[in-house]
Order: sequence, then structure tokens, then C-alpha cells
Amino acid sequence: MRDTAKMMQTGLGDELFQPTGASGDSAPPALYGGRCNSCGYVFFPPQSYGCERCGSTKIDRTELDGRGTLIASAVVHRHLDPARPAPFIVGSMELERRVVVRGLIEAGQDALAPGCPMETMIVAETRPDRGSTDIRFRPAV
Amino acid sequence: MVKILGDLSPVYVVGIGFHPYQHASDTPYVALGLQAIREALTDAAIAWEDVQSSYVATALLGMAAGRPMLRHLGAHGQPLVHIENASASGSTAFRHACLEVGAGISDVALVVGVDKRTSPVFRAPTGVPSLADDAIVPATHFALLADEYCSRHNVAPEDVALVAVKNHANGALNPNAQRRKVRTLEEVMTRPIAGTLTALQCTPIGEGAAAVIVASEEGIRRLGIDAGRAVRVVSSAAGSEKAGNQTNPDTALSAEIMAQAIREAQIGPRDLDVIEVHDAFAIEELLYAEATGICEQGEFIPLLKEGAFDIGGRCAISASGGLIAMGHPIGPTGVGQVGEIVRQLRGEATGRQQPGARTGLAHMVGIGAVCYVHVLQK
Ligand SMILES: [Zn+2]
Repeated sequence: MRDTAKMMQTGLGDELFQPTGASGDSAPPALYGGRCNSCGYVFFPPQSYGCERCGSTKIDRTELDGRGTLIASAVVHRHLDPARPAPFIVGSMELERRVVVRGLIEAGQDALAPGCPMETMIVAETRPDRGSTDIRFRPAV
Repeated sequence: MVKILGDLSPVYVVGIGFHPYQHASDTPYVALGLQAIREALTDAAIAWEDVQSSYVATALLGMAAGRPMLRHLGAHGQPLVHIENASASGSTAFRHACLEVGAGISDVALVVGVDKRTSPVFRAPTGVPSLADDAIVPATHFALLADEYCSRHNVAPEDVALVAVKNHANGALNPNAQRRKVRTLEEVMTRPIAGTLTALQCTPIGEGAAAVIVASEEGIRRLGIDAGRAVRVVSSAAGSEKAGNQTNPDTALSAEIMAQAIREAQIGPRDLDVIEVHDAFAIEELLYAEATGICEQGEFIPLLKEGAFDIGGRCAISASGGLIAMGHPIGPTGVGQVGEIVRQLRGEATGRQQPGARTGLAHMVGIGAVCYVHVLQK
């Protein structure tokens, strides 16, 4: 989703990731989170409507390192939305600063167990009107 | 000084009624709702004119669905309000009817939940971007929680599926249930949806209606209602999700609100004889049952296997069949839970009666998340 009205509403834009790492090009692609300037709360996805913890509107975009730990995963066998044909794998990942992200995983299910180190990767976006790239997770090598 | 329900005048459920939950049909919602309301009025042995206020719980019917239904009972001009609170719509309507009657603003109020399922459900965009919300529907969310629970407590997927086996067996005994068929573990384990969750471990899409009449002692006296069949609502607690719990907000919220409802009822969790929880997915019953405090974390599965949560066990959980078997038409669900508990506490749940049931708890969460818990006692 890249329409201007939405970007103006959230203030921080609707970009959720960048193609390069937070700590340089060799790191996995970074995600964009939000950080509250009043209480320090860090969250994903980014928004500037107001901090969920304290209500402050002083929120900045913050880069989240694209490395984390797998909390849980599941193979989706049936899915109604034709833009996301099943089967695919989803997971919950804990990133730095205790931020939890849910996203799609590129891996065989056998390679996944809670606690497994994960990292981001860029893939081609297949859904319409979503730009040319999307971000996924995979077990870190 | 703020008050709780227990500080107000005593509130009782004096009538219950249902239109059976069922798969999608051509029956208009008006017919579904009227059947449940008329059954509840008959059960309370009162007339529609005696009802001073109506709460209509519905999430999917669009704007102002109540008057086109209630007018067919006789349009007497009493106030009515619609309550939408996702899956917890019915529970929310019940709470606010209890508060109105407890405060003495009305002596007799109707709560009716009615819905017909539509897919997909419309929710206005928030303007906040998302990474993969289109890939993570409720079944996926709970499949992730099941994976997390199974690896933490070394539990097999078949163990979680036993919740559905129990609830399908209970639903087979409930004439108002949408699914009324006993299922073997093998049957439950077929047709995977997400992770280890299978179709028979997920609530079905359906429709129906449930109604309850709540009354004060004054209302019971004035209308000559049979006080021997009245069931007291001893506590009502509600809350919404807090910041910071990003993996399992429903369970964290449920534990807090259940503890509040149990404390306000001046009982302990092990005093509960019957419990109805938001078991839209099998893993949820397990998480919320542990959240009540009726057993320790990780203890649910061994106790389930011993039959502790069967009808006739130490606490019957989802004796109605729960959301998995009785169904989850949304607006009616929380009202129907109260109806089931009232039936159990009256000793009128023929064929699925929990022996000696005195105290029951009803729990719903709604997407958001919100949580509503009531304790009823005979
Ligand atoms: Zn803050």
C-alpha cells in the first residue's frame, strides 16, 4: 500500500523495511519500527498516531536489526486469500529490543524449531500494488 | 468510590432462550432472534410488556438491526441499544444489562444476540501498514500459539486435539449446537488448516440467536417470577489489551480479568463447577482454562486425559460443546454461554448435566483484544 493519504496519516510513511542492514550492507535487511521519545517503547509496525504504552505522539522511526529468534511457526495448509496461495509458513520472531514481528518464512518446516536464529531476506513481491519487493525470514546460516 | 457489580442490587438471570446455532441458511435474522426471545420470555413466564430495556448484540448485521426484529413482539416504545464488541458482543451486552438492572434503572431487561455470518468481515483500514496481516488470520495466530505451547510443555498435537474430541462429544448432547456429532481423535486430526490445527479444532462459521432475561429482586417479586429457578450474576469483569504483550495478549488479558471476576465473586478458581470459554480454536480452551487457575500451567493435558474437564469431572469445561461444537455465530455466543451456565446451575441440562453444579464462569475474548468474564451462582 503506497497511497499518499495513508502516508500522511501515519506520518512515518508506510515503508516497513530497507534493502540493506542496519549496521551496514553485510547485515540482513533492517525493518523499520517506531520508538517513543517519551517512554522509550519500541514497536513494530511503525506509526505516529501515538505511543501504545504512554500516548505520546513524539515518535521516531527506528531501524531494527534483521536478526532475531524464532518463537513459533506454522505451515498454513488452507488460506482463503488467493493473493497468498497455500501452503506457506508463518512465524513469530523476537528481534532486538524485545520487538515481536510476525511474517512469512522461507524454509522447510523441518529446519524450524522455537529458539532457532532467524534473519530477514528480500524477495520479489507477487501481490499487486505492493511495490516490487517484500521481506521474509529464514533460518540464519 | 467506584463500584463493582456486587455492590449493586442483586441481579438474576430469570429466562433463557435459543434459536439453535446452524450452518448458513436463508432464514432471516429476524426469525432467528424472535425465536430465542420468545423462548426466553416463556422460560421466565413473563410478557414482552414486562421488559423495560433491550440490549441487542450483533457484529455482522450492519446498522440498527434490533428494531426491525423487536417490533414484532409489540412495539411498546421501550429503550433499545445495539452492542458490537467483536466476539465478545454478547458478553458485553449482558454486562451492561446487568449494570442497568443492578443500578435500579430497570427491573427487567432483555439481552439478545443474533447474527448471520458474512465473509470476509468488513473492518475499516487504520492507516497503519502491516507486514503480513493478509497471511495471518485467527487460525494462523492460534496455530502459532499452539506451536509455542506444545514445545514449551512437550505436548503432542494429538493432545491438544483431545479438547475438540471432548467438545464435539458435548455438542452431540446439546440440541442447540451447530455440530452434534461425536468425533474420534482420528477424525479430528484430518483436514489440517494451519500448523497442527485442523478443521474440527476450529469453530465453524454459522448463525443463530440466544437470549436471556435479567431481573432484580423487585422485578422477580413484582412479576411473580419463580425465584427458585433464578440464577444470580455474582460478578462481572472486563478489560482490554495492554501495551507490550505481543505474542499472547488474549491469554495474558484473560488471566487478569478472570482473576478479577473470581475475586469479586468471593470464590476460588477451584470452586468452579462449569466453565464456558472462548474455545474458537482447541488450543484456546487449554490456555484459558489454565488462565482461570483451575490447574497449574502445563497441567491441563494430563487432567484432561483423566477426564477432569468432562461432564461429571471436577469441572465441566464447554459442556455446551463450546465454540468448537455448539458454534460461534458472534453476537449470540456470549449470551448463549450464560444460557448454558444458567441451565447447568438450575440442574436442567438434561443429558449433559454437570452433577451438583453451583458455580459457573463464562469467558469471552474479542479481537482487539477485549475480554469479558461473568461468574454465576445458584
Ligand atoms: Zn511512549
